[in-house]
Amino acid sequence: MKLQLKLAIYNAISKALIILAIGLILPLLVESVVLNHIDKRLEARRDLILKKIKLGGLDQAILEEDCSFDDYNIFKEEFIHIDGLNVSFNNVPKSSIAIEDWSIGDQVVTERVIKQPFIYDNQWYMLNIGEGMSTIGQLKTTISKFTLLVMVIVVLVSIFIDIAFVRLTLKPFNLIVSNKLKNIKDPTSFTPQVISTSTFEFKHLDESINEMMKKMKDLFTVEKEFISNVSHELLTPISILQNRLENIVADSKTPEEVSIKIIESQKTLSRLSRIIRALLLISKIENEQYLKDEAVAVRSTINEAIHELEDRLDEKKIAVVFDIRDDFTVQRANHSLLHILFFNLLNNAIKYNKQGGKITLTGQLNSEGYMLEIADTGCGIQAKHLTDIFDRFKRFNAEDKNSYGLGLPIVKTIANFHHIAVSVRSVPDEGTTFTLKFTA
Amino acid sequence: MNVLIVEDEKSLSHEIEIFLTGQGYNCDVAFNGRSASEKIFVNSYDFVLLDLGLPDYNGFDILKEAKDANRDSSFIILTARGHTDDKIKGLDLGADDYLAKPFSLMELHSRMHAITRRKHGLKVNTITIHDFIMDVQNRTIHCKGASVNLTKKEFDLLHYLALHKNRVLTRMQLSEHIWGDVLEEDFDSNYIDVHIKNLRKKLTAHAPVDWIETVRGIGYRVNF
Repeated sequence: MKLQLKLAIYNAISKALIILAIGLILPLLVESVVLNHIDKRLEARRDLILKKIKLGGLDQAILEEDCSFDDYNIFKEEFIHIDGLNVSFNNVPKSSIAIEDWSIGDQVVTERVIKQPFIYDNQWYMLNIGEGMSTIGQLKTTISKFTLLVMVIVVLVSIFIDIAFVRLTLKPFNLIVSNKLKNIKDPTSFTPQVISTSTFEFKHLDESINEMMKKMKDLFTVEKEFISNVSHELLTPISILQNRLENIVADSKTPEEVSIKIIESQKTLSRLSRIIRALLLISKIENEQYLKDEAVAVRSTINEAIHELEDRLDEKKIAVVFDIRDDFTVQRANHSLLHILFFNLLNNAIKYNKQGGKITLTGQLNSEGYMLEIADTGCGIQAKHLTDIFDRFKRFNAEDKNSYGLGLPIVKTIANFHHIAVSVRSVPDEGTTFTLKFTA
Repeated sequence: MNVLIVEDEKSLSHEIEIFLTGQGYNCDVAFNGRSASEKIFVNSYDFVLLDLGLPDYNGFDILKEAKDANRDSSFIILTARGHTDDKIKGLDLGADDYLAKPFSLMELHSRMHAITRRKHGLKVNTITIHDFIMDVQNRTIHCKGASVNLTKKEFDLLHYLALHKNRVLTRMQLSEHIWGDVLEEDFDSNYIDVHIKNLRKKLTAHAPVDWIETVRGIGYRVNF
């Protein structure tokens, strides 16, 4: 889930919860405020009536209050009711204030009722003053409905604002990811440009990435220099030896049997230098020291390789079945590397083929891209070795006589460099097929 | 012809010197860039064999300096650095050829030979080997007026042997010449035998070729 969405959802939920809490508490709060208000009014009224009774007598008070002993004003939802009490002094009920169901006539109404006993003419009376509660209920529903509406509106608006705000805030982050991490293939092409942001964390991230890339760039340069130095350090002594041996062989004073031994040494030396150059080639490709700035057509590149191998094909009387129906152009490729790739595969197909064998080349476009197959009729590769043939550090048992050398690791490295998938299948004593899948 | 060998590795420049002196060149050596730069400025060389990895100088700078000073020496870059763009850069700066170390001295010689041929624009550029006449320019070979049909590799092989006539060339040297930089560590130089066999067969149809000599255990030699 996107951080943007997560934050928006979190904000919406938290706001909804706060509003829900307010929606639940507010009616209670309103109720208590209103009750308090009613109570104050009831108390004031009680005090007023008691005062009037004291001053002007009960009848006078009733008259003045414009109410009877049992008066109910339906519009004001209020009543004043005075009961005579037939009790002794000790049993006089206490004054109270509470919500009660009160029956007036044939009606039962819920009222806030204040009860106050008083003595008049040596007779106990109970003064009941009631005020209606229905307004409170109405108020409560109104407030609930209102809060619900406000809640929905606030949540919706806040989600939109949050999404917009988070998107704006995350913009530098997305820029950092796309400019500095995704689109960078090679640390050497990295430019430490500062992405402007007011968010501390992103600034921190940006700086950290710049720092890391600088370190990687330095390491890369060191690695490139190392490869360059290694090639110089290893190939120069070989060069000296080779030229010295050449001079010894060329010298007419050198006895023939010595020459023969030296030529054997030259072969070993040549093998050593080929191994070094192959390893250097692999590491240079892996370090992206080759450019991919050419568009290379598969068909013509294969033809070049076949042409170069013609004498080897003739020598083994190998027929080439050229069934490349569709051509394919690898955009952003390195021609000399792809040439090496095809050369190595074809060379292997010749080397491990039988006398008078066949090499079948098929190439066609399909829904996934382009598929090229190079099939030979050679000795095949044992299943247990199939997974290892591309591994430059895996060597097969010497007794198997199946050393494939560095040709296939080079093929694999070049293929990876060009995003070509290589796979192999083989039936021992029938042949081996290499499949290259180019994505369009 | 005068050759300046610019190479900081003394043993290597010594071996090159021995070989080229044996081939009739006058050799001069420089072990660092400063002395090379001076020597190129003072003397006139037909060839400068230039190592790019000098301790005090970028090899390319020497090349630039010499080209700016209008020296018409031919430059062959010798390098073990193995940068892909070195070759392109060197040739762009006006170098005549490029050899990656380790290289064969015979190969160096044949490259120098080719440059000389190119430079002096030799119109008639033929090698006569007994009854056969090789036209190096047009890459044809004739025997008593009849043309002999050779493949590219067979022609190259014969030409290389003829260039180093009366000298044994090993299978390794021959295969490196016609195959170039094949990165096969168990490279099979016995393919050369097949080529020689075919070459002999094609030539014998016109005239005897006892001048192509097999030196047992070593290689081949063309005597004329």
